[in-house]
Amino acid sequence: MNKLVVEDLHLQYGSNLILKGVSMTLNPGEVVALLGASGSGKTTLLRSVAGLEQPNRGRILIGDQVLFDAEKLIDLPVEKRNLGLVFQSYALWPHRTVFQNVAYALRLRGIASKEVDERVTKALANLGLGALAQRLPHQLSGGQQQRVAIARALVYNPPVVLMDEPLSNLDAKLREEARAWLRELIVRLGLSALVVTHDQTEAMAMSDKILLLNFGRIEQQGTPEEMYSRPRTQYAAEFMGSNNHLPGKVTELADGRARIEGDGWSLWGHTGDRLNVGDAADAIIRLERTRVADGPGENRIGVELVTEMFLGDRKENLFKLGPLRLRCYGDVAGGSNNWLELAPRDLWIFGKTAAVA
Amino acid sequence: MSARSFALPRTTVVLITALVIFAPIGLIFWQSFLNAPFFQPAKHLSFDSYAFIFADDDFWQSFLNSIVIAAGMVIIAVPLGAALAFLLTRTDLPAQRSIEVLVLIPVFVSPMVLAFGYVVAMGPVGFYSLWAKDVFGGIPWNIYSLTSIAIIAGLTHVPHVYLYSSAALKSLGSDVEEAARVTGANPLQVALNVSLPMIMPALMYSGVLVFFLGFELFGLPLVLGDPEGHLVLSTYLFKLTNKLGTPSYHLMAAVAVCIVGVTFPLVLLQRWLLKTAGKYVSVKGKAARQKLLPLGAWKWGAFALVGAWLLFTIVIPLSGIALRAFVSQWGEGIHVSEVLTLENFQGVFDQPSQVRAIINTLLIGVVGGGIAVICYTAIGLAGHGQRGGISRILDYIVLIPRAIPGLLAGLAFLWLFLFVPGLKELRNTVLSVWVAYTVVWLAYGMRLISGALLQIGPELEESARTVGASGARVIKDVTLPLIRFGLLASWLLIFMIFEREYSTGVYLLGQGTEVIGSMLVSLWGAGAIDQVAALSLINIALVAVGLAAALRFGVRLHE
Repeated sequence: MNKLVVEDLHLQYGSNLILKGVSMTLNPGEVVALLGASGSGKTTLLRSVAGLEQPNRGRILIGDQVLFDAEKLIDLPVEKRNLGLVFQSYALWPHRTVFQNVAYALRLRGIASKEVDERVTKALANLGLGALAQRLPHQLSGGQQQRVAIARALVYNPPVVLMDEPLSNLDAKLREEARAWLRELIVRLGLSALVVTHDQTEAMAMSDKILLLNFGRIEQQGTPEEMYSRPRTQYAAEFMGSNNHLPGKVTELADGRARIEGDGWSLWGHTGDRLNVGDAADAIIRLERTRVADGPGENRIGVELVTEMFLGDRKENLFKLGPLRLRCYGDVAGGSNNWLELAPRDLWIFGKTAAVA
Repeated sequence: MSARSFALPRTTVVLITALVIFAPIGLIFWQSFLNAPFFQPAKHLSFDSYAFIFADDDFWQSFLNSIVIAAGMVIIAVPLGAALAFLLTRTDLPAQRSIEVLVLIPVFVSPMVLAFGYVVAMGPVGFYSLWAKDVFGGIPWNIYSLTSIAIIAGLTHVPHVYLYSSAALKSLGSDVEEAARVTGANPLQVALNVSLPMIMPALMYSGVLVFFLGFELFGLPLVLGDPEGHLVLSTYLFKLTNKLGTPSYHLMAAVAVCIVGVTFPLVLLQRWLLKTAGKYVSVKGKAARQKLLPLGAWKWGAFALVGAWLLFTIVIPLSGIALRAFVSQWGEGIHVSEVLTLENFQGVFDQPSQVRAIINTLLIGVVGGGIAVICYTAIGLAGHGQRGGISRILDYIVLIPRAIPGLLAGLAFLWLFLFVPGLKELRNTVLSVWVAYTVVWLAYGMRLISGALLQIGPELEESARTVGASGARVIKDVTLPLIRFGLLASWLLIFMIFEREYSTGVYLLGQGTEVIGSMLVSLWGAGAIDQVAALSLINIALVAVGLAAALRFGVRLHE
């Protein structure tokens, strides 16, 4: 097994810049998630690795083998790259049975039909599809189709498996089960995988490392833990979780901490941005870090309860503070007037201009 | 939605449709079981006419020829049409848009004209034949052989296969092809293992269609089969008149019933194929973004294939006609510069009947085409939004004219106009030709109209009903405005089809009912080559005007 390296990849359609210099590595046995909103370039990056898109600049390598090098005019055809790709739509061939879908890659590689039989049977059994070998794709459920697509991509043991939104075609309920199943499969088979997703929960659950893309650039990369708990930019903070959001002005600064004030509130938080007193800034805190408090105090704000929403496993409360709306989980004891505590260690302050740069 | 106020017009439309379809067909059937023309007093029911044609060797030879030609066409047209569709819709072949327009030209040029084009270009003394003779010392082809007829017919029907396969390929998601690439298939393997098998229903459908069209072929075998005496069923029927010397309507009807006996099951087979096609498409992935397959070095080979086909099916016959229309005579040892002339056109304009033919053709295309579209729309609306009942009946009866070759339909309408009181007076007007054209192209027109109607989401009409509009108001205020562009496009397409049509008018040809198509058949029979050339060129020009307008307004040339 060799590692996949992408160096300074640029890609544009006409004057439309899709990738603006992306570099990444995927170590053997590792799962990397490409996370981003639509238009961030995550799928384009994946397709470039597969060879389905032609970048304008940069290099793509697996170990010593160069898949793509813009300077040396190397662009290995898709079919020579020997990668596995699971399509978002699964892209099963409707005129071939499950068995034939999976066997096709082996047949193309000129493998004797006895061995093809063995390997396909093993791959199907591995994915719990043993009984479905002779079915046609339209006779399968969505979850089964997904497994066939995965079996098809794995059967020839590609060094890296690419997955384009592998779970997005499943129902919400099924998706959570499939996520656990897929993670288990990856761990059990020791796969190296590059997974595209727009869902941060999915990215965190499935991968060892997350690359957050924003308009063709890497916004931040790190382990799921780092990405969630220590976002370096406002974009990353907003993307990785559900937040309360308070716009205000910086009034005081002290070693990595800043005090931000708005209409009727004032809070301490920590910041990585270079801020000056008087700058416009946003205070951001995860919903689950926002707590109902019993009275006024440091980093507490007085709010009015608007409504409560029952979500099954917990309750969500909506408060108002002037024009602002704040949410938090848990039970609210008293009447309509309440206090919320936004602890300084959980509150991030991002300067307005810094977030754009 | 069953607005009672609307039931009457709906029923009327259905009844009229059924009448214009079943009257001529019924007449043909009845006539085929009589022992003499139906208007003669001394006639009775019998199988005499069938006995006669079944005893005729020429009938069986023509039947065999028809099958050989139709099968040959399928063998040639289906692989070529599929290859062309793949190259033009799924790969990065350059100049696809322009090539696509060229590919469709044979659909809109009369086969009579094309056949004539091959004669003057590649016949024994054709332009290209003489040129080849200079180069090779002999003509390496004989376009009058049965094989040549099948090859020419096959190549000129490539567009029909192209239309259906390209539509199917366009609705195919590119993900299934990319999946094959990723697993290790090269472009050729992708085409052979994934793309083409996935459009198999469309290919089979177009194969049946081409076989069917081959079976009712008339213009090509009439012109190209004559010198060596190759008959097919339609030309056998056409020549029956001469065989006995008297109007042998009962024999012609019997042949007609035999032809329909083959074509009608084919039409039903097509319909069945179209229905089963749906199953295949159910898992087709997301057709969202179509990524073209890069051809790389294969590009030039692909280009050569497309170019060779275009050269043979379009450039050679059309250039032959264009040249022949401007020379007074042609043969060995003649230089073009010595024989250049405009006399051929002069000749056409000196003949009142030919001038009438041009005017009638224009009238029937522009005015008649418009009225035909109105009729088709009325039928389409009668079945629109209806489930079962009327719309099912309509679905089937509009298929019937598909099975009747134009030549036969023209014959049936001739009989109607000759002997039905009230219609007799219209016999010598172009109206008779118009009715025949409209019925013959009913199925085609209905496909255009229902295509436009399908574009309207039912909720648009339903919401108009809920706010209080009656069924008729919905049609006037919602449906018709929404399909306006589709109707105009249909008008243009019907115009081109009516300009091109020739066989339907053959039996209706008479003083006052001349159209270019039937005139060409008649002039060809009389050996008036000069005028055939000039009229052919005029016909091509009329179609070209329609084609240019269609392109200008962005009309899709296929459903």
